[in-house]
Amino acid sequence: MSALAQPHPASRTGAAMRRLVVALTLFGALLVAMPFSRSLFAWLFPRLERPLYEQHGFVALVLAHLGLVAASGLCAVIVGMGAAIFVTRPAGREFRSLIETLTAIAQTFPPVAVLALSVPMIGFGFGPAFLALALYSVLPICENTISGIEGVPPSAMQAGEGLGMTPHERLFRVELPLAAPIILAGVRTSFSINIGTAAVASTVGAVSLGAPIIIGLNGNNTAYVLQGALLITGLALVVDAAFEAIQARLQRWNAG
Amino acid sequence: MIRFSGVSKAYGSLSVIEGLDLEIARGEFCVLIGASGSGKSTVLKLINRLEEHDSGEIRFAGEEIRSFRPEVIRRRMGYAIQSIGLFPHWTIEDNVATVPRLLGWDELRIGRRVDELLALLDLDAVRIRRAYPHQLSGGQQQRIGVARALAADPDVLLMDEPFGALDPIAREGLQAEIARIHRATGKTIVFVTHDIDEALKLATRIVLIDKGRIVQAAPPREVLSAPANDFVRDFLGREDHGLKLLSVETVAERMRAGETAPANGSIGAGDNLRHALSKMIATGAKRLSVTGSSGEIVGTLHLSDIVG
Repeated sequence: MSALAQPHPASRTGAAMRRLVVALTLFGALLVAMPFSRSLFAWLFPRLERPLYEQHGFVALVLAHLGLVAASGLCAVIVGMGAAIFVTRPAGREFRSLIETLTAIAQTFPPVAVLALSVPMIGFGFGPAFLALALYSVLPICENTISGIEGVPPSAMQAGEGLGMTPHERLFRVELPLAAPIILAGVRTSFSINIGTAAVASTVGAVSLGAPIIIGLNGNNTAYVLQGALLITGLALVVDAAFEAIQARLQRWNAG
Repeated sequence: MIRFSGVSKAYGSLSVIEGLDLEIARGEFCVLIGASGSGKSTVLKLINRLEEHDSGEIRFAGEEIRSFRPEVIRRRMGYAIQSIGLFPHWTIEDNVATVPRLLGWDELRIGRRVDELLALLDLDAVRIRRAYPHQLSGGQQQRIGVARALAADPDVLLMDEPFGALDPIAREGLQAEIARIHRATGKTIVFVTHDIDEALKLATRIVLIDKGRIVQAAPPREVLSAPANDFVRDFLGREDHGLKLLSVETVAERMRAGETAPANGSIGAGDNLRHALSKMIATGAKRLSVTGSSGEIVGTLHLSDIVG
């Protein structure tokens, strides 16, 4: 009997935190250095008249990009988790296949098509971009929440009921905390994909790190494309590392 | 404490409990026993409303159980199950504190109670308070399960085959523990099992259930000495019926008190006769010294005292 084989929950958390610090440092350095990199890009692309993107500040682009991803992601979390919780309650069980079909359709619909279709209805800018990204994220979050809740050990649910937890207490004290790592994995997937996809939003006039890329593609300015892509990659790494750090903390109880 | 009057329960057209009458008195250790599908677990679940009865009346402390909200009645009854069901994301401390937290006890009182319970269940509080369930063995986990059931000092303890999944050594340890807790606290315990030896060892009263009806409800010794019918005899096992009879009688009841000349072996006055016979057979001794609680010789048990 390995009575109390002490696991090392600190090790995964520690590694994740170190990764986050490294990613943040590199991204911060990239962001600070970018406005001073004119001579580098002029040397790389000698035929370009304007080798550095200057329509917006890079910091403003990063914040707008993050804001777009976070707002649409938050909306998807509320809708996706809400739907998943509903269909795993006795009252909502019969709606489960309907909800799963709807979220699957939302995900198979390409974000670009959503952008094209929604512009005539809600105009250019933040709105259609927000809608496209939110729709695209609902499925992984909803599906993961359902499988996370279904993965809760039946014995824990039985005990919770028998000890006198109300359905509400079972949801918030047992089901959601135990499902949290899987739900968070879904949120992480959505956010990672959307950091990339949000670049497309600049085609409908939303401000994001996609702006240098779209403008660069239109004007044959490869330097702009490279600057946008570098920052998007860096941002994706930072966000991914942040999720890893949260997941590591959440799963301390399961570290052994 | 708990009274069933004419209680029936069916799942669709399948009747599982039929016209059950049973009164469980305060302080009783009532063991419900039967084969699988007999309805014994259903009887237990009717008490804390995990199952609802279709007809008849179930009273707890004088009141129909439907007059309580299900959560309220469940928090007044400890509950332990075969699959244990510790919450894997909570420390041992938090698991034990489940019901006190639901009841809104202050943290100081909860902390003291957790210490008391871990000590009661013979667990090393310092080492395991902050551990997580997966770090413990099955036997230790079920000790925590029992501690959790006892945490809010419930009026009744409901146990659904709690030791069924444990290895024999852990099971015996926990059986001894729960018997000791029953003696020490005088709690009313309703305990479901399919293991007749466990029932004989623990019960103050055995309730034998078959096809949703009570076949016999009596103290272990009476079930053994006067089985109600052939079903009970079969359930007791005809082959070692005699040994089972020995297992419900203590050495003190048959020994020759005052015969204090030392014999070759010794046995505790509180041990059962089956244990004594087994010791005689294993050691070849025809008589054993009987020792009291502090180890002094209080009498002698002869082989003829057992068989005669």
